[in-house]
Amino acid sequence: MSQTMTLGVDAGSRDVKLAIGRGGEIIFSAVVDTVRFYLTCRNGGKELLLNRLPQMESAPDYSRIVATGYGRNNIALTGGEVIPEIMAHATGAVAQTGLGNFTLVDLGGQDTKVIQVINAEVDDFVMNDKCAAGSGRYLENIAAALGTSLDKLGECWENPVRLSNTCAIFGESEVVGLISDGAPVESILAGANFSVVARLKPMIMRYRPKVIVATGGVARNQAIRRLLEQETGVEVIQPKEPQLNGAIGCVAS
Amino acid sequence: MKPVGLTTTIPSEILFAAGITPVDLNNLFITDAKRTEFIEEAEVTGFPRTTCAWIKGIYSACLHGNITKVVAVTQGDCSNTHVLMEIYRMRGVETIPFNFPFGRDRESMVRSLQLLAEALGADLERAEEWRLRLNKIRRKLDMVDLLTWKEGKVTGAENHLFLVSSSDFEGDPDRFEEKVDRFIGEAENRTPSQTAVRLGLIGIPPITEGLFEYIESSGARCVYNEVARQFTMPFGGESLVDQYLRYTYPYDIGPRIDDIRAEIQRRNIHGIVHYVQSFCHRQMEDLIFREKLDTPILTIEADAPRVIDARTKIRLEAFIKMIRQRKGAEI
Repeated sequence: MSQTMTLGVDAGSRDVKLAIGRGGEIIFSAVVDTVRFYLTCRNGGKELLLNRLPQMESAPDYSRIVATGYGRNNIALTGGEVIPEIMAHATGAVAQTGLGNFTLVDLGGQDTKVIQVINAEVDDFVMNDKCAAGSGRYLENIAAALGTSLDKLGECWENPVRLSNTCAIFGESEVVGLISDGAPVESILAGANFSVVARLKPMIMRYRPKVIVATGGVARNQAIRRLLEQETGVEVIQPKEPQLNGAIGCVAS
Repeated sequence: MKPVGLTTTIPSEILFAAGITPVDLNNLFITDAKRTEFIEEAEVTGFPRTTCAWIKGIYSACLHGNITKVVAVTQGDCSNTHVLMEIYRMRGVETIPFNFPFGRDRESMVRSLQLLAEALGADLERAEEWRLRLNKIRRKLDMVDLLTWKEGKVTGAENHLFLVSSSDFEGDPDRFEEKVDRFIGEAENRTPSQTAVRLGLIGIPPITEGLFEYIESSGARCVYNEVARQFTMPFGGESLVDQYLRYTYPYDIGPRIDDIRAEIQRRNIHGIVHYVQSFCHRQMEDLIFREKLDTPILTIEADAPRVIDARTKIRLEAFIKMIRQRKGAEI
């Protein structure tokens, strides 16, 4: 682990996550909407000016930058290093949990990654196919269609209605149909959570997991965590900062 | 010589013996500047969006290329080809079916070759002469392959292009042979690549553009193109029957796995990239490869002929880095 004060940047599809620290210790963090991040930081040229972000006003000094995520190659920050997402997430989960052997499930805005970590290194990984079905975006759309919050969604895991569609777009019309049939909102929300877990299950079970570490924005959803435990029969550990895991991995790498 | 389209590799010796110029419709499609428009055009015609882009591409490429006769593989490749044949017929394109017998049965293969020869008006003895002629070129392609994995003087992309061209020898074996000779002469004088991470590509020829180049820019080399190499008939044979029974691609997966395992050993391959085509039944083969091969496997998928996307790049980058971390001082 590097002992230099480092800024980790995980430029995701929905949010850009920032963390500053040294090794596994994080002393500052921020989450910025991806579109807002680029609109604010773009300087006309290729360079991004992070000090334009209001969130960075209270940030401590750093002398090293490590970036990952979809936008990592756009993070044209002077002297910035770039690492693959899979490595950043595995390193972040090792740093946050202190574990060396686990199956990491990263649930992002448009993307799901399952990474098998053995002796604190990536042994194998699989990512969802080219589709946002069953991703964070799907859950956001379902919550919005039902006029409810993501917090409420995260509480619903009992009596799930079986949803046939995890498509981020078509899922909405299915939900509208269920409402008109009189299904309880909680059951529909639980159904949405369940369908995400059902889609994840084959990706996870190929690694015969003993411990699951869940990260990414969606891992804050406690219903998903419960359903994941129920469906896999394996303990699911949530690190302290699931959403910042990739950025923490950048700092720790 | 009149052109006849092919939907995949078939015994081209029979076509040459009949005085026909074989045109691999896949090559015609993928090398055309309008390849994306070809797919759109097929969709406008009514091909479902959820159909393999190769099928849609070769449909339009055939019509645009004024190909009026097609040999379509109806066993050993893809069941979509069956309906493609019907659509071709509806558009006035004459179609000739060809079967690779599923059980690799010798008598059935003899019959398949006879039927094709009869349909095209070819003499099978003459086709055997063509086998000997084309073998000369096929063995030169072995040299291109050797220069790739053993000498490190040919890139994965070059290897793919030359090997995959043996489905139709670009319609002119003499000219293609000269091209291969020139290439070998030039490549032999190159400085060998020092890239450490060695990958093998298995599965159907990828539709993605820039895949090999991205692998190279990420610090790895593709030293094995499984199916493209099979198009060259690397196991030879004493007759056309032998040769096309030893060809691994159209039959059961066992001999393919044996071939891949042997090449992983011989070429010292660190990781396998399994390319799968969206909406292709062969996607299911992924689970078999994962169970049967001990080498790390990365599965990548693409649907249309586009430049390699960010998702695929991320996967390749992480896979190559994972191999490098695992192998450590070994490479």
